[in-house]
Amino acid sequence: MSERKRLMIIDDDPDFVSGIRAILDGAGYDTEVAYNPKDGYAALKARPHDLLLLDIMMGRGAEGVMMARKLRKDPALKGLPILIITGIREQIAFMFPGQAVHPNFVALNELIEKPVEPDLLLERVRALLQAAESRGQPVS
Amino acid sequence: MDGNARILVVDDEEIVLDSCTEILRGEGYQLATASDGARGLALVKEFRPDVVVVDLKMPGLSGFEVLEHLREADPTVVTIVITGYATVSSAVDAMKRGAYDFLPKPFTPEEFRLIIKRAVEKRSLTFEAMALRRERDLLRDHFAAIVSHELKAPLAAIQQNIFVLERELAAAATPEQRDRLARVKARMADLIQMVDTWRRGVSIDMDAIKARQVPVSVRIPIDKAVESALVYATRKAVTIDVAVSEPAPRVLGDQGTLTEAVVNILGNAVKFSRDGGRIEVTAELRDDDVRIAVTDHGVGITADELPHLFEAFYTQPGVAGERGSGLGLAVSRRIVEAHGGAITVQSTPGQGSTFVITLPAFGDDAPGEGRREAAPLAASAKDGSR
Repeated sequence: MSERKRLMIIDDDPDFVSGIRAILDGAGYDTEVAYNPKDGYAALKARPHDLLLLDIMMGRGAEGVMMARKLRKDPALKGLPILIITGIREQIAFMFPGQAVHPNFVALNELIEKPVEPDLLLERVRALLQAAESRGQPVS
Repeated sequence: MDGNARILVVDDEEIVLDSCTEILRGEGYQLATASDGARGLALVKEFRPDVVVVDLKMPGLSGFEVLEHLREADPTVVTIVITGYATVSSAVDAMKRGAYDFLPKPFTPEEFRLIIKRAVEKRSLTFEAMALRRERDLLRDHFAAIVSHELKAPLAAIQQNIFVLERELAAAATPEQRDRLARVKARMADLIQMVDTWRRGVSIDMDAIKARQVPVSVRIPIDKAVESALVYATRKAVTIDVAVSEPAPRVLGDQGTLTEAVVNILGNAVKFSRDGGRIEVTAELRDDDVRIAVTDHGVGITADELPHLFEAFYTQPGVAGERGSGLGLAVSRRIVEAHGGAITVQSTPGQGSTFVITLPAFGDDAPGEGRREAAPLAASAKDGSR
């Protein structure tokens, strides 16, 4: 990584965000936060990002899922790697049957459960960024 | 019941109908009468009574037959029988068939008013109970969502920040402080795990399990379950022997939940094993069924505990005082039943227990693979015998 990678976090829980942001900042990433999908989408459209960390249960329900679907349909953002961080792993699995990676959901996503151990978080972020880089496609 | 309770009186004697009407006049009921059983039943549909008073001895349809039909049509309707022959036996018979009370002829106006009043009360209690049951079911359905977001979210946020603190303080903290933080983290992890187990217990989606069923070798859930129980078993020096017949039998199932079903049973076996004990896990094909048995040689289960074993929130401390969520076996049972199977248990206090999961087999060796809709096999989990 020559330049600092820019990560977007969309999660409606400021306390949880502070917990992962400290880890990511500490590892040298640039992080930006939105506390609702609407602001998050606007921020993603406004500036390029290398990775999105997305919460699922926001607002009135699984708004994170709608957000991810919307991104996938967006020509400019459909290549953006998404790391889903959720408190309700198995319910997500019901929504998207199959493995942790759902090719039919978002091309480049991974799913981890809250709370997430710092090393695991950093490893997943690194892996997703590397995968995106090695494909050489513009991710934002 | 909105406003006035509706009372239907069915009797072939006009004088009874008239006097009943007279007695209840001004009491605030809506009243309808019928002079025989057939007319009475026809009126039930239209009039929708809360209480039906029926004479047992009538020409045509007897009072018993009317009771029978009523119970089929709407079991919440409260029925009272009038017995002309004042024999207790016919009244008892009627009550066995669902009548709420009986009134021997002749009766006083006061007796009639009183019995109607009680019947109407009974009817509204029935409705209240039904409403409460519905509410409970609704609550149960929403419990998963409530727990996952309202309880899990704050716990996850706390633990996430403990993770960060632990990293940030790694260099600065004294060994005692680090130890304290580690304890906080461990207790929080226990709490999160317990919430997860509870949530899974109430949110196992049977339809989702059915939708995800694929042919699975029972070797996979068994190996995964053993792997997960091993950490804990090693601590108690408990050995786990696995014997799966070759080729490993297959079932039509969902690997993840099947693993969880075995994990819970195996975890229990460890919990109730004495230090240095032995646990055997076997799997084999028996006729059209796959039989997975987990046998421990631990403390066993007494006969009066057996019926409660698979109930949610039933919990007994383990040999080393281990505590559980009280949901493990209940969850296992729901999972196995969603797969069209059954769990049974056999136990001798002081000598150990054997839990058996029976699942319909899948594959060439099981010609009946198409019948996973078939009724659950074997005895119910409550039988405690096999």
